[in-house]
Amino acid sequence: MSAPFDVIFREIVSGGMSTALNMLKILIPLMIIVEILMVYNVMEKVADKLQFLAGALGMQKQSIFPLLVGVVMGVTYGAGTLIEINRKMPIPKKDYALIGIFMFICHGIIETGFIFAVAGAEIFTITVGRLVIAFLVTAAAARLPVFRKMSEKTEEN
Amino acid sequence: MNLFAATIRDGAIKGVKTAAMLLKIVLPIYAAVVIIKYSPIMPFLQDLFFPAMKFFHLPGNGIVPLITGFFTDEYTTIAVMSTFDFTTAEITTIAMFVLVAHSIPVESAIAQKIGMSAAKFAVFRILSAIAVGLLVGWIGGMLG
Repeated sequence: MSAPFDVIFREIVSGGMSTALNMLKILIPLMIIVEILMVYNVMEKVADKLQFLAGALGMQKQSIFPLLVGVVMGVTYGAGTLIEINRKMPIPKKDYALIGIFMFICHGIIETGFIFAVAGAEIFTITVGRLVIAFLVTAAAARLPVFRKMSEKTEEN
Repeated sequence: MNLFAATIRDGAIKGVKTAAMLLKIVLPIYAAVVIIKYSPIMPFLQDLFFPAMKFFHLPGNGIVPLITGFFTDEYTTIAVMSTFDFTTAEITTIAMFVLVAHSIPVESAIAQKIGMSAAKFAVFRILSAIAVGLLVGWIGGMLG
């Protein structure tokens, strides 16, 4: 060990406490925002305005809403919404894969933007940079033959 | 109580609950990483990964938050990252890498739930994370 035991112990206690405080500082406002977005159906309204992106991403229009939820709030919410929407309005298999690609590169931007900005990262890079990368990768993937072939089939579940 | 006040209250309660749930996982890992940092394992890890981390413009110990993030989540990564002294450019590179590839066990399970192959998506995310990490590290290296 390159430090005495009491130094290590003190670092664990003080670091652990500041980690706990930081988390509360972030998660309480974050969850309030998420709750407001849900209760007032903000996501649906924004998704309506973003319909024009569907073409560039090679998706159907109804796929934009679950994608937006996943990207803004997190994969768990996104996956939940995707399953929900699919029940009402079947989403093609191709869109499932494309939403997956986009959503798993870039999700929970409010939450991760918050926490990594507090930790000292460049906030512009980690939010806008990630969105741009995810958008380009997804748009490119949509044009690959593998994805084109899946186009019209819908997922059964 | 009106709808707005109730919404805020529910959000605050969820925030505290989520923090409590996360802390149960984060704190033990944080303690373990502090111990590892002062143990002989750390110099060994640094030497081993120094060549690879160089491509990301990261110091050798940059591997510790990257591996932690891969298996756990963003919160643990940040807790672990705070035990070291990284520059803004390094933190941004680590952030971008971890934000693309994190919580792989948990999120692969979610991917499977919506009908994707968990293995394919894990591989896809690791490859994307490496590509993104290289790009951001390279830009950070040029600016810094």
